[in-house]
Amino acid sequence: MSTFDSRRSLRAGTPLWRRYLRFWGPDPAADVDDEFAFHLEMRIEELRAQGLSPTQARDEALRGFGDIQHVKKICRTLAEERENAMRRTQWWSDWRYDLRFAIRQLTVSPLLTAVLVLTIALGIGSTVAIFSVLNAVLLRPLAADDSERIVYVYETWRQFQAGNASVGHFHDWTEQGRVFEHTAAVTGGTYNLSDGEPERVRGVRVTPGYFRVVHKSPVLGRYFTEADVTRDIRLVVLSHGLWRRRFGGDPSIVGGSVRLNGQAHTVVGIAAPEYNMTTFAPQLWTPLVFTPQQRANYGTHAFGVMGKLKAGVTRDAAQADMERVTRGIAEREPRNMEGRGVNVRPFRDVVLGDFRTPLYVLVASVTFVLLIGCVNVANLLLARATTRRREIAIRAAIGGGRWRIVRQLLTESVVLALVGGSAGLALAYVGIRLFVTFGPRNVPRLQDAGLQPEVLFFALGITLVTGIVFGLAPALRAARENLLTTLRQGGKTSLPAARDRLRGVLVVAEIAVAVVLLVGAGLFLRSAWRLQQVPLGFDTSGVLTARLALPPERYASNETVADTYRRILEQARAMPGVQRVGASTSIPLLGGGPDAAVEVEGKPLNLNTAPSPLIRLVTEDYIESIGMPVVRGRALKLSDMAPGASPAVMINERLASLAFPDEDPIGKRLSTWTREVGKPEWREVVGVLGDVRSFGPDTPPRPELFLPFTQPPPLAWNAFQRSMALVARTSTDPAAHAPGVRRVLRSIDASLPLYDVTTMDEALGADGAGPRFNTWLLSLLAAAGLVLAAVGIYGVIAYFVTQRTSEIGLRLALGATPVSVLLMVVRRGATLALAGITVGLVAALGATRMVTTLLFETTPNDLPTYVAGGIGLMTVALLACAIPAFRAVRISPMQSLAES
Amino acid sequence: MPIQTELLHGTLEVLILKTLSWGPMHGFGIGKWIAQLSGDELRIEEGSLYPALYRLEKKGWIDASWGLSDNQRRAKFYRLTAEGRRQLLKNSDIWSTFAQAVARVLSAKQQPAS
Repeated sequence: MSTFDSRRSLRAGTPLWRRYLRFWGPDPAADVDDEFAFHLEMRIEELRAQGLSPTQARDEALRGFGDIQHVKKICRTLAEERENAMRRTQWWSDWRYDLRFAIRQLTVSPLLTAVLVLTIALGIGSTVAIFSVLNAVLLRPLAADDSERIVYVYETWRQFQAGNASVGHFHDWTEQGRVFEHTAAVTGGTYNLSDGEPERVRGVRVTPGYFRVVHKSPVLGRYFTEADVTRDIRLVVLSHGLWRRRFGGDPSIVGGSVRLNGQAHTVVGIAAPEYNMTTFAPQLWTPLVFTPQQRANYGTHAFGVMGKLKAGVTRDAAQADMERVTRGIAEREPRNMEGRGVNVRPFRDVVLGDFRTPLYVLVASVTFVLLIGCVNVANLLLARATTRRREIAIRAAIGGGRWRIVRQLLTESVVLALVGGSAGLALAYVGIRLFVTFGPRNVPRLQDAGLQPEVLFFALGITLVTGIVFGLAPALRAARENLLTTLRQGGKTSLPAARDRLRGVLVVAEIAVAVVLLVGAGLFLRSAWRLQQVPLGFDTSGVLTARLALPPERYASNETVADTYRRILEQARAMPGVQRVGASTSIPLLGGGPDAAVEVEGKPLNLNTAPSPLIRLVTEDYIESIGMPVVRGRALKLSDMAPGASPAVMINERLASLAFPDEDPIGKRLSTWTREVGKPEWREVVGVLGDVRSFGPDTPPRPELFLPFTQPPPLAWNAFQRSMALVARTSTDPAAHAPGVRRVLRSIDASLPLYDVTTMDEALGADGAGPRFNTWLLSLLAAAGLVLAAVGIYGVIAYFVTQRTSEIGLRLALGATPVSVLLMVVRRGATLALAGITVGLVAALGATRMVTTLLFETTPNDLPTYVAGGIGLMTVALLACAIPAFRAVRISPMQSLAES
Repeated sequence: MPIQTELLHGTLEVLILKTLSWGPMHGFGIGKWIAQLSGDELRIEEGSLYPALYRLEKKGWIDASWGLSDNQRRAKFYRLTAEGRRQLLKNSDIWSTFAQAVARVLSAKQQPAS
């Protein structure tokens, strides 16, 4: 049906059928009526000529049609069907034409096309990459069955909203609660795995209900049940990862046994791989069973409690029910309940909550970059549209129709977007790989980020939207073009002021968005800088640390434990290059430890207000090895560690100020972690240490208490899992000493694994990895926004100069100084930039509120950051104006006048 | 002789195409031409002619536009499209072969040998 090719219609005039359509409108019914009327008229005339009477002639003529209404209907239907088919064909052929034309337009100016495609590709690529991460981490449902019904139940204490619960609480919540299908108590643990190469693995002890609260069918075997654990407690479920890595995915391990902490445990099953997203990313699960004694304990808060809500129960209903039960407990056990409450939190919030804000900030930022990119593309298209005014005017003149022109131009921009989007997808792929490789380790499910169908769908959607967004302004503007004016001007590329204004508004908008990005990134940089300035309180350089744990089965008594550590330290001290070596049950930056209330001699004890320092058992050289300053008194010495030495402690300044306000703590006595409540065991304070930021630079120091490792509180070694971290200060590269420490340990006990081997500098690096990654990424996005905004303002100013070439030439010819011309151009750019900066700074005040929680000692309306952001953008804007401004100065008056 | 056009669906279409091969014509004229050319043996009923025309138009073998008839009245003129011309060539061959075959059978003087 080549007749209906509209390309021909543009060249050779509209085909007959279209003219007929346009004139009469597509009305098949009327056409059929007219045609039949004509036929009847002719036939009647013919019959009359043969001598029939008018009535006879009419009857005879009608006879030929049979049932004329029926025939009309057939014809009408056929005509309508034809009409529709035609319209479809027309639509498709128009579209094909638009497409061909669009592609041709792209090849006309390859440089411009390359710039456009690159801008779009960067915008879409980065947006898709970030979206893919958002999708993988936050949007996808958690893998566990009915995961939206899983909750954590926390005990709250004063301002702490997510505290562990006592066994008594867990038990009562389970027994008396009405909202749960299943509940479980969980507690983290680490295990020495000792068949073959000894290894320390992180596991979780869980009550059997855990696998019904968080359920995903096992890969092999089954999960342990209540019935199983009453018969035998030495059971273990292995994680999919551990099974594959350590046991080579051997199915026969199920039913067999593995050695945990020196004891054989029967492997009952291999967990589904999806269990890796739970908070600890455990490698194995062992049963947790409570004795009746433990069940009556409401004072030791050591267990995580999880529950699966019955279908249809909301969090608020669960919260109300738990409050009811908890009130009951408080009435029965008032002694332990002051300031305590309960808090039900959805599993999802617990697992993913920390990552929500940073990810949304990233999504917002990357969308801003995309937006700036769109504005640039729109601006370039607007500029090109002026050079195409003649073409478009002619199209309109020959009956192209406004909608037809808008469609043509939109097709062009969407084709452009699709080309850019495809390139963007490739960029996104690379971006996602980089993200997964260099992103912070602790983000759950980050590894799953990729180009899944939903991500591809998003990419397509955003590409089309982008194409329409940046194409719409130029297209609508072109359609509104006044034909006569354009053609009268001979299609010259001079442009009306209105168009220039639109481009100005677009540039102001993109500068504003760039300012928001810049201020946002600036806040993060400032926060990172503040974080760098915080003194940790100890010297991280030149320190190697490694941890080991002694299995209780073979290292039962306090004396054996202490003796073993003493022997290890003795040998380590002899290593060449090691200056000092000590050990502590917990060290800064690498995990916390238990805390306990402190009673001060001569003061009444109030458990609710008593300071609760972190308790650390340390060897004599630990303080010097880690490099903590002694501010008053002395450090613990070898003699404090001797058998029979009088109990001595060191405290940090924070604890000193809490426990001994306005007095010298040295020589005072305190008691903590005693065998029985109300029976203090006094220990003398011999020294005060400087405060240390044990939980990273962003967390203020907490009170800490240091005891000689030879004077542990009752059952303390159990609480510490008989584990200590060795700390070696070395004169050479600390990391190089790791094999030496391993050799020392092997000579003492070859079955013990050494783990968490790291230098303190590395530990510090890992501590800030997440925020640093955010800062880095945001700075990158802000830089991209800045460059794009600079390109945008450059484009507009360069255009401004081109437009006014003759005017400038005239001015110069009439004696204007180059400086005044320079100023004229720069003023134009500065005005736009200033408007954009003003709008941007105001917008930033609102937008940056979102990042408040991610900043360290930096408020979102930090004045220096705003000033720096404004000045930074103005500088870049002026630089971008400089090139066209100097070009303007070099305009030769004669030449420019000759050209016009 | 009015003929049963249902039987000769294809025939009618070929006849219309043939008629239009001489030039554009309105429906009334087409019917008249066919009658004349067949020596008034074939009179196409309007109830068959017009549906056939619309069918052909839909198929794209013919094309229509409004024009003025000899007596200066507005009439819908049909004309052959390129595709229609191709179809006419193809189908007229088939039809003459078929017609000759039918004629041979009907004019047979001898019983076929078994």
